Amino acid sequence: MLESLLYFIQQLINGLTLGSAYALIAIGYTMVYGIIGMINFAHGEIYMIGTYVAFLAITAMGMLGIEYLPVVFLFALLSSILVSSAFGWSLERIAYRPLRGSNRLIPLISAIGMSIFLQNYVRLGQGSRDVALPSVLTGGWTFGPDDGFQASLSYMQLLIFIVTFISMSLLTSFISRSRTGRACRAVAQDMKMANLLGIDTNRIISLTFVIGAALAAVAGVLLGMQYGVANPFIGFIAGLKAFTAAVLGGIGSIPGAMLGALILGIAESMTAAYFSSEYKDVVSFGLLVLILLFRPTGLLGKPEVEKI
Amino acid sequence: MPKTISRKLLISSAIALALSGTAQAETLKIAIAGPVTGDVAQYGDMQVIGAQMAVEQINKAGGDLTLEAKVFDDACDPKQAVAVANMIVNEGYQYVVGHLCSSSTQPATDIYEDEGILAVTPASTSPEITKRDLKMIFRTIGLDSFQGPTAGRYIADTIKPKMVAVIHDKQQYGEGIATAVKSTLESKGIKVAMFEGISKGDKDFSALIAKMQKAGVDFVYYGGYHPELGLILRQSFDKGFKVKFMGPEGVGNKDISTIAGEASEGLLVTLPPAFDTRPENKALVDAFKAKKQDASGAFVMTSYAAVQVIADAVKGAGTQDPMKVQSYLRANTFKTPMGTIGFDAKGDLSSFDFEIYTWHADGTKTAVQ
Amino acid sequence: MKTNNIAFAFFCALVTAIMAFPLLGLKMVSEGTGMIIQGATASTWIYIASACMMVFLVQLFKTSLNSGVEQFKVQLSRLPTPSLPADQHVRLEKWALILIIGLALAWPFMTSRSSIDLATLVLIYVMLGLGLNIVVGLAGLLDLGYVAFYAVGAYSYALLNNYYGLSFWICLPIAGLLAATFGFLLGFPVLRLRGDYLAIVTLGFGEIIRIFLNNLTTLTGGPNGIPGIPKPTLPMIQTDPEFALISLDFSRSSREEGVVPFHTFFGLDYNPETKVVFLYLLALAMCLAIIFVIRRLIRMPVGRAWEALREDEIACRSLGLNRTAIKLSAFTLGASFAGFAGCFFAARQSFISPESFTFIESAIILAIVVLGGMGSQLGVILAAIVMIVLPELAREFQEYRMLMFGLLIVLIMIWRPQGLLPMQRPHLAIKEAEHA
Repeated sequence: MLESLLYFIQQLINGLTLGSAYALIAIGYTMVYGIIGMINFAHGEIYMIGTYVAFLAITAMGMLGIEYLPVVFLFALLSSILVSSAFGWSLERIAYRPLRGSNRLIPLISAIGMSIFLQNYVRLGQGSRDVALPSVLTGGWTFGPDDGFQASLSYMQLLIFIVTFISMSLLTSFISRSRTGRACRAVAQDMKMANLLGIDTNRIISLTFVIGAALAAVAGVLLGMQYGVANPFIGFIAGLKAFTAAVLGGIGSIPGAMLGALILGIAESMTAAYFSSEYKDVVSFGLLVLILLFRPTGLLGKPEVEKI
Repeated sequence: MPKTISRKLLISSAIALALSGTAQAETLKIAIAGPVTGDVAQYGDMQVIGAQMAVEQINKAGGDLTLEAKVFDDACDPKQAVAVANMIVNEGYQYVVGHLCSSSTQPATDIYEDEGILAVTPASTSPEITKRDLKMIFRTIGLDSFQGPTAGRYIADTIKPKMVAVIHDKQQYGEGIATAVKSTLESKGIKVAMFEGISKGDKDFSALIAKMQKAGVDFVYYGGYHPELGLILRQSFDKGFKVKFMGPEGVGNKDISTIAGEASEGLLVTLPPAFDTRPENKALVDAFKAKKQDASGAFVMTSYAAVQVIADAVKGAGTQDPMKVQSYLRANTFKTPMGTIGFDAKGDLSSFDFEIYTWHADGTKTAVQ
Repeated sequence: MKTNNIAFAFFCALVTAIMAFPLLGLKMVSEGTGMIIQGATASTWIYIASACMMVFLVQLFKTSLNSGVEQFKVQLSRLPTPSLPADQHVRLEKWALILIIGLALAWPFMTSRSSIDLATLVLIYVMLGLGLNIVVGLAGLLDLGYVAFYAVGAYSYALLNNYYGLSFWICLPIAGLLAATFGFLLGFPVLRLRGDYLAIVTLGFGEIIRIFLNNLTTLTGGPNGIPGIPKPTLPMIQTDPEFALISLDFSRSSREEGVVPFHTFFGLDYNPETKVVFLYLLALAMCLAIIFVIRRLIRMPVGRAWEALREDEIACRSLGLNRTAIKLSAFTLGASFAGFAGCFFAARQSFISPESFTFIESAIILAIVVLGGMGSQLGVILAAIVMIVLPELAREFQEYRMLMFGLLIVLIMIWRPQGLLPMQRPHLAIKEAEHA
């Protein structure tokens, strides 16, 4: 009895961690969507770049002999955010800005092209081989009897969960409270009108991409430290899962992305726990279809009003 | 179709040349087909450096035969493999070293067999490839169906675990070996408690690990490649799930220690003999080092050998006619960096032994007696 | 303004440096069991520096560059350009189509084996593009899981042949029918979703099909795939020695009964190239049939309804059009064409496995539709050629080829956001006042 309960708790923790990992990427995804209404398929690639830069930074610190964890972490975070933001900014200027105002499928294809380009850019620079990083932060707590099944929670899992939660709350209050956030919402509602009212829409959209990329970089650093492996192709699957999570929660809604990601993580983890790992993607996509059938705009999405 | 005619002329003149016995320097064109781009390009690199080194060394040694190689990229995509195969036919190549992934080799070899092109794959391990009565297909690597039973017998006879989990990555290679291990274990009366696939590219295996922990698994066999097993080892270690793990040659790579750190200590691996550590290959390994290339990759020496057997068989048969060369290949043995090798009727190596090693956290390995 | 310009140009150069320096300039390599960082070679540094320099200069003189381009455009527009009335445009498209078909028919007799094979591959993508064009281009439903129907078609032939020994010609309609059924079953529940929600559900559906194919090892061979799928044969009536329906195949010698090699039947020498040519011609015939069907359909009420629905759903409903029936018909028809293409793909390939049906395949087909100009058949044909031939041409660049492929997609989209050949059809438009 106790064992089954502990097992369930353990799988719940696993699911929450996995969900937080998806959420970190999904929040950036959904924010870009919420403001300019386009699916940025290259977002997963920005995450991948963030991971690579974090690996480079941590390795460099190791070579310099600096091992004090907060310094290493901060340095990795800052350099990763810097580089990813540069990519996010250029991505928007090169691949999306010239296409603004055209059919909404056009930027989607451009994003797919960009995604292929970025994958191969990193592959040429860093090689297609997996790069690895030893664990930086280890340890955790365990619960349960010493001789039976023990549930555990590592510091890293907790850190991921906390950072995701903080990012979500900060971003939500930034969008809903600050002056720039209000400008963002104005741009989201009506770009032309916002422009007429004196909002520099180009600047706001650039900013959106930079923030989105920075969030992807945070995800890259944390997940890079948690899992310790990267190759130039990790962005694709991560982006796909994040996209699914964002839609599940109602695309454009930041708390929705978090909720969707957590549900997705728990669903995958529970499928692996009580059924089979082979079918976890089937279950998560099946769940998505099911939820969308009953709530066609996702869990926390605003119901679309049909304009006449 | 002028190209065909010219090709036929070329072939017939080549044969005529060979028959008349004029000892002029001939050119033997070899196509190297494998992934240069895509997510398995790292294995394609091993194939290319091995094969190119062989071409270089054989040319340097002199003789009547000058080798000329060209790399064709199939990105490990079956669709592109067919396109590449047709391109190879078109450009008049009669010898191919490749392809790398079994799923590319399979459709491509259909075309080679039809067109009378001789292909030697240095990396595709699926038993299906040579099951089809093909004359022109050879390989210089062991089969999944050799490796699985070797591992299975060792587990059953030496380790004697109570509860085994067999995990694989749902790819042709991983699932093939895992299935072979499972059936060997079952035939020996060992209970396989779990047989489960994961998705390649996954990063989080904590749910699976907790499941194995709860089921009381005391031995895990993993069929697949090093990035996933490295993560499983690392996460198992963090979760306090410390049992013995075993994997095929796809995991026997220095990178697994980089990923898993101390968790990789004691991992059991079935490996082909480490050709690059043999004393007789020292000069060759130094040649790789001089070019800043890594000779320890799993497919480097097998690719080298693939080029070499083609060259030797062409020399031995005294003709570039692939039909004659293939019967020469089946009838003779060849001295390569892999040792002296020969082929059976199906085109597989007549013997290819896998050895069992214990892996260490510093990336080294020791043979298990 | 001038200083502003310099500052911005400097900023852009800095951004370029930030993007290039860590990823190209530093490289992680494994040493022992750890990783160390190596600096790049001197030439890489020179490349990075010159890239930054170039960005700086381009941004600095952007205004003058732009005005130069504008001037050039003005010069161009002064040239007399033939402006065609709409109905002539349609006629032109017809002639272009006829020209392309003529060229396609002559193609196998002009070029080499690998070009014919490549052209066959292009034709498969033309079929797929035309099918998806109905769903995305005409009916305006964003489908990111089109590859699922392609997979259903391919596996129908492979499995039916494997288990029941059915021939290509029997399986072809079955494959189309099965794919259409899947399209119908999927379409039914999800069509009330809109836009991006529909996109992700179709994407999920595509993945689910692929995972099932990969997991049901006992039925589909799982990741091992299905080998030895026979090539299509040519049905022929034999008059000697007796009157019978036989099949001609294109191999050197055939083992099956009732199957006669093509070259023995016609008393020719064996030529391996006939096999490739036959496959090509078969694909061409299938393509032409699909083009013909679609050309008829878009002139029929259902075709008009698709486009009307794409333009304004509410107006359609108030006109009494049955929304569900129209969407479903588009979905089902589109799926059936993918089924035909899949069946042919399995035959060309002779081996299929789930890895041929991943999401990226859907993305490429979608890119073909968008790149061509949504709704336009000629555009789809052109875009399929571009998308499949470009990576082949880029083979010379070896490892750079996918990099260039990605970049080219972006550049083409920026250069022609409306697609290479946007759809034209007879229509009335209010003439806007000309710019002075």
